[in-house]
Amino acid sequence: MTASQHDQETLHSYLQLDAPARRPRFADFVGALKAVSQQEDPDAARGWAARAVSPLLDYSSLMKLRRYVNGPNAGTGAATNAGTSTGRVVRLAILGGPTTIQLRQLIELFLAHEGIAAEIYEAEYGLFRQEILSPGSGLDQFGPEIVFVATGARDLTRVPPLEADAAAVEQFAETELSDWLQLWETARSRWNATLIQNNFDIPFDRILGHYTLRHPAARENYLARLNRSLAEAAPAFVVMHDLNALAAEAGAAGWFDPRFYHEFKMPCGAECLPGYAHSVVSQLRAMLGRSKKVLALDLDNTLWGGVVGDLGPGGIKFGQGSGEGEAFLAFQRYAKELSQRGIVLAVCSKNDPEKAREPFEKRADMVLHLADISAFVANWNNKADNLRAIADQLELGLDSIVFVDDNPAERALVRRFVPQVAVPDLPEDPSGYIAAVARHRYFETTSFTQEDSARARYYFENTRRKELAAGAPDLESFLASLHMKMKVELINDLNIERSTQLVNKSNQFNLTTRRYTLSEVRGLVENSEWQTRTFSLRDELGDNGLISVILLRKQADALAIDTWIMSCRVLQRGVEQFARNELVDLCRAAGCNRLLGTYIPTAKNGLVADHYAKLGFSPAGSDGASTFWELDVAAAAPLPHFIERDESRA
Amino acid sequence: MRDVRAELQEIFRQVFDDPTIVLRDDMTAADVEGWDSVTHIDLLIAIERALGIKFATAEMSRLKEPDQNIGSFVRLIESKLQAG
Repeated sequence: MTASQHDQETLHSYLQLDAPARRPRFADFVGALKAVSQQEDPDAARGWAARAVSPLLDYSSLMKLRRYVNGPNAGTGAATNAGTSTGRVVRLAILGGPTTIQLRQLIELFLAHEGIAAEIYEAEYGLFRQEILSPGSGLDQFGPEIVFVATGARDLTRVPPLEADAAAVEQFAETELSDWLQLWETARSRWNATLIQNNFDIPFDRILGHYTLRHPAARENYLARLNRSLAEAAPAFVVMHDLNALAAEAGAAGWFDPRFYHEFKMPCGAECLPGYAHSVVSQLRAMLGRSKKVLALDLDNTLWGGVVGDLGPGGIKFGQGSGEGEAFLAFQRYAKELSQRGIVLAVCSKNDPEKAREPFEKRADMVLHLADISAFVANWNNKADNLRAIADQLELGLDSIVFVDDNPAERALVRRFVPQVAVPDLPEDPSGYIAAVARHRYFETTSFTQEDSARARYYFENTRRKELAAGAPDLESFLASLHMKMKVELINDLNIERSTQLVNKSNQFNLTTRRYTLSEVRGLVENSEWQTRTFSLRDELGDNGLISVILLRKQADALAIDTWIMSCRVLQRGVEQFARNELVDLCRAAGCNRLLGTYIPTAKNGLVADHYAKLGFSPAGSDGASTFWELDVAAAAPLPHFIERDESRA
Repeated sequence: MRDVRAELQEIFRQVFDDPTIVLRDDMTAADVEGWDSVTHIDLLIAIERALGIKFATAEMSRLKEPDQNIGSFVRLIESKLQAG
């Protein structure tokens, strides 16, 4: 083995381990990073270091990694981190009440870990109001896309005096709220920014003790009330970041370190900073539509105790009667709740396929049912291959999967061979499984809609459709057998949230990958130059919900398709053909002669490179990367499909 | 007897990423490359964690005061370790 091979092996073997096993090897890992950085290529070292970034590392270790993630010349102030899979650079401003230097450094690390490239502007501490409100401020010159307002309980300028009565407290709260609303609206109108807004981390040194709860003017009671009002009043362009929940998780006494606050104005204790930065980046990841989407679960000793192949469905440890059985039950309930909020569940198990299903089929006390599991893979293949199969089956990327397995060897194999998949450590005791998954904040979201709660069913039905397709003599008769009905609507108050979510989450079937916030979409709807169409599909097997959104802009004698996105779960169903015919009708009704299309390639949307060609559009040039297309509406014959237009009212 | 100076030297080497640092009593922040107000905080955090001590608020920036140097810093840490 050459020295370089030895370093590579050191790096690989560190990253495939759980956190406790990594700890004694951290120095060796950093040594290998240094060697790689000096001998070969700082970019390679940067990639390795970014992969090692974890919320489970302590502050000093993360700062050590920072040297390699940012390169030797990492300075302070505005900095761009390298390494991106999206090609998009997020312009992020961090405005502190307390000092944000350490927080910003850690945020950079977690962004690098997520492969999110960012240009960061950091304000001097305490100046968040001036930066937003003063024209020509550093922030104004920077022109942020996302503003993180990193404030805390100590940034309130007004608190009611203890003797204030309920009406006076109300007045204080209203004034406070209108100040924050004004800050947000200013950031919105000036830079069209989206905000991440901390709430207040409520201290625990309560002057009135337990009576605090009953006295509106007591500071902690007042802060709790403000937290509620802020969250309720926050418009859609403000994403609330629950700093108070972070403080509670750490234990309020462990969260705030008065020494570091008084001396250096640090927002919390040093060892709480990595979790804080990780939490902010998780919100940011959700805003960019890059939260995890799939929870892939092992079975034996993960969803129940023991090996079902040996013990049979009656012999496994599960459910009431033993503490350990209840712990597995609690973990299944956690998975079930995740599926109810839109996370897709999969099973990835080394098992006999029939035996693996038996507990679900034969035990009445199972919380998870086969219908909750959208992809069920039980065989004797290696789990890296099986996770690839699950990604294919669900038509989702490997980087959207979280894999949970009690066996450290399986975890190591998956980390090594499919590093895109997130693999949390799992403790030996099943009572710790929920916390072990939850602490990574894989599934953060910035909205919750009806579609989310029904998603698991869609994926399950899709699997059944595929089984049907396999049995159907040909695709056409299969499609005809589905009796699909499509509802076409403009974007309206009822579907705007889901439409916006689809616009921001779709990566694969997305022609231009343009992202719009809720208020931007509302602006388009109200703008007479724009047309919007949404498509909702029902069929024999269930309701797919709203699965496609198209945004068009009038340009002289043409309608230009600004955005065309579709959920991948309805690929190969004729939805595109149906929508194209709709657009042709729309064009004619609007008095336009041509329909214009643009394809902007990204790392993820190769699927639709030929989209317009397939729909009969003619090439109309390219600018190197993007291709342009046009369709002469007069000459366009309707494309065949098997979808009936649903004219019923909602 | 615990060799606080050697332990501290190792922490300095880690924080400033320089394996050649050798601590002497008469050294101050000006003698270590990269020792500024930001890395000073990193240094305190690393020392507290590695040695299991807690600096008092008044001690946190003491090294920046006149007449303070590595020698007095080592004595401060030794006294904190003895106090347990």
